[in-house]
Amino acid sequence: MKPSRLSHILLVLYGLLILALLYLPLVSVGFASVSKARYLSFPIRRYSTDWYGKALESDTVRELLILSLKVAGLVTVISMVLGFFGALAFARYQWRFRKLYQKLILLPIFFPQTVLGLALLMWFNAIGIVPSWKTAVVAHLVWIAPIATLIIAIRAYSFDPALEEAARDMGASTGEILREVTIPLLMPGVISAGLFAFLLSWGNFPLSLFTTGADSTLPEWLYAKMVSGYSPLVPTVGMLSVAASALLLACALTIPWILRRVRS
Amino acid sequence: MKGREHRLGMLYALPVAGFLALSFLAPILLVAAFSIMPQKVFTIFHMPDFSAYGEFLAQGYWRSVAWSLAMAFAATAILFVICWPLAFAMAKVFRGFTLVLTIGVVMTLFVSENIRLFGWVLTLMKGGLIEGHIRHWTGTGFDGLLYNVPVIVFGLVYVYLPFMLFPLAQGIAMVPDDARQAAFDLGASRWQILREIELPLAAPGIMVGCLLCFVLSAGAIAESKLLGGQAVIVIADEVETAFTYGQNWPLGAALAMVLIAIVGAIAIWGISKADLDAMIGRRR
Amino acid sequence: MGDIPILQLNGLTKSFDDFTALHPMDLKVRDGEFLAIVGPSGCGKTTLIRLLVGMEDPSGGSIWLRGERIDEIPANKRPTCMVFQSLALFPHRSVGQNIEFPLKLRKTPPAARKERALELLALLRLPEEYYHKRIDQCSGGERQRVALARALAFDPEILFFDEPLSALDYRLRKTLEKELRDLHQRTGKTFVYITHSLEEAMVMSDRIAIMRAGRFEQIAPAAEIYARPTSSFVAEFMGEVNLFDLRDGSGDLLLTGAGNEFATRPGTLMIRPESLRILGPDENAEISMSAQVSAEYMLGSRMQYALSLPSGKAITAELLRENADGPKPGDSLRLGCAASACHLIPEG
Repeated sequence: MKPSRLSHILLVLYGLLILALLYLPLVSVGFASVSKARYLSFPIRRYSTDWYGKALESDTVRELLILSLKVAGLVTVISMVLGFFGALAFARYQWRFRKLYQKLILLPIFFPQTVLGLALLMWFNAIGIVPSWKTAVVAHLVWIAPIATLIIAIRAYSFDPALEEAARDMGASTGEILREVTIPLLMPGVISAGLFAFLLSWGNFPLSLFTTGADSTLPEWLYAKMVSGYSPLVPTVGMLSVAASALLLACALTIPWILRRVRS
Repeated sequence: MKGREHRLGMLYALPVAGFLALSFLAPILLVAAFSIMPQKVFTIFHMPDFSAYGEFLAQGYWRSVAWSLAMAFAATAILFVICWPLAFAMAKVFRGFTLVLTIGVVMTLFVSENIRLFGWVLTLMKGGLIEGHIRHWTGTGFDGLLYNVPVIVFGLVYVYLPFMLFPLAQGIAMVPDDARQAAFDLGASRWQILREIELPLAAPGIMVGCLLCFVLSAGAIAESKLLGGQAVIVIADEVETAFTYGQNWPLGAALAMVLIAIVGAIAIWGISKADLDAMIGRRR
Repeated sequence: MGDIPILQLNGLTKSFDDFTALHPMDLKVRDGEFLAIVGPSGCGKTTLIRLLVGMEDPSGGSIWLRGERIDEIPANKRPTCMVFQSLALFPHRSVGQNIEFPLKLRKTPPAARKERALELLALLRLPEEYYHKRIDQCSGGERQRVALARALAFDPEILFFDEPLSALDYRLRKTLEKELRDLHQRTGKTFVYITHSLEEAMVMSDRIAIMRAGRFEQIAPAAEIYARPTSSFVAEFMGEVNLFDLRDGSGDLLLTGAGNEFATRPGTLMIRPESLRILGPDENAEISMSAQVSAEYMLGSRMQYALSLPSGKAITAELLRENADGPKPGDSLRLGCAASACHLIPEG
């Protein structure tokens, strides 16, 4: 019944192949970002990191980075809060409209993001809000808050209701239970939801496209450059954006490990 | 006890539910209202006529809808076949390697989809990573692999792979090993186990994965614009054009409503059948 | 079939990485026999049954079915099948579809499948309406019967059981044990049954194989295992017994007459609690000892006493409760039994 050694090896190879294909385009972007030529053509003959220097000196790129950071930071904080309470209602408490609520929460994830961005643009226009990076935060949250809710819900499912009951039995109020029992227990879920929220917001393009008004996030700027013809800055800034995500992810994965090592 | 659970549940659901009501449901209702307005108006305070939907039929926009749905269907079918063996291995065969794969696949989600698609443009274009190197080594090149329908489907498969892989793996993890072994012991071949036991018992995960991929592919835009050039115009592209270059909000709204109706009907049907407690909480 | 056993193991072994789960094992199972394999958890009995059905590959040795070697054949091609501990009923199929599953795999026509399924429902005393019932609507006992029916529909040469009754409550377990015994007699099939409960094995089986740490300790009919265990492990596994190590002399025991012969042979003497009786002041026995009662427990029709011997060794005795004024905790008394009621285990 267990797969043979050969099929095990074939499956591992298949997994590696899929991973390789997933990362192949980033390899191309990486090579393009260190090509000296203004007009890219493989194989690359002369390498140079000039474009990185130009990108880091550029005011536009710095502004894009700061704006994208602001959006992603706000999205992270708000979706952690919304997701925390949303997940308790999703997984922990048995209440009358729970099944309905669970299903409605999922709908935005299934929704075409470009259309959602346009709908939000019309909505902001109708209620008299001028689109800016702040409206982009709202747009990102429509998609990311449900995802954060689901991630925290996975943790909330494994939560033993008897813990809250025991705390209540010992005289804790609802607020004290939240602070002393529920929040600490769900914290790992909340943190991974925050990480997802940041990274998904950082890389999001279709929601930003119509909702940022005169402002522009990094992926949006990249898209504008891509469709208007090749610029050597596109792969360079793209790689910088990827590097920022990878750095954050690496920190998120290693910090808990280091903390554990330090403590023991 | 029940009363408090009910109150707390309601209370905690309120922030996220209220937020989504204001910034998800309300905008969709607004789009619905715009879609029945006369053409080229910018407020909803006009006599409704349904001329935008008439335009949809008259101008052949349904072709874009058909292209979008057909490519979404193709991408979903291909994704299912590609992902099943890997999802199976992740759920039942691999141990540590499952974590490596999970992290590796999830990380790609954090890279903006247009950077990744741009990477495929650099890879597949004339003078790109593949063609450039082949010409360099063999001396003969070709025209590049971009700007056709298959490459758009390839882009959809590439971008939405995680949305098939993880639900499938979750679904397969719900198939009890005992049931598979019992079928094997009772004389079932590998193929019969797949058909009689694994596919039906993994059905919730299969359904979620297929739904997600179909719905997201049907509304996708970047794949056809970046990889497909002008090979076909997808419906989301038409929506965007109507809003921006066309400055015809009611037409854009009507086109959006057609997409929302198709995608929403499928999503609501699928979600309403899924047992979310079992899938997310792994409770049976 | 004559002398060819239906199932034979020759030096069967299994190791995982650096752990040896099964040391070379030999066993012969007779056609139509009900064999129970008993042992504490971790003794390797589950590994053994997984090898026998073909879910695992052996590391060495061979398995023979009616004289044909089968250890190279995968489980789905072997003419044997197993009732799982979890039962492994297919939750997405009805009772009828579960029972028909092996027949469907063999492309039996639907009408014949249904006929056979209804026969099996009747054999297992399940009402015909259950044919359309969903598995999650069945009780624990009903699921057991469905799992049995499914296995019988396969029509195996040997039916293996992996502790299928262990999750049930006591009374239901007792009922099903008797039903299983009855089913064995009516079907005439060979049953090989794995359990950690010797009590269960004794009720049902013709022969018992006792396993310990990847080896068979003793293979014999229940009565023989009860009366003549070949090791103190087996003796203690059978229930409460008093064991006296006689290799360094008779110790607390006073041996006379026929009892004397135990003193000349090194080994462990086994005395069952119910073999002991209280000796009157002038009464003598072939084996006797003086003891002090430390506690008494009621077992229903009998009383059990915990006693301590002069050396401090603790023993147990069981007496019928007819004696209104039996001994009380604190009493000193003399216990004895006949040499023929004892058994000498040759090993240490």
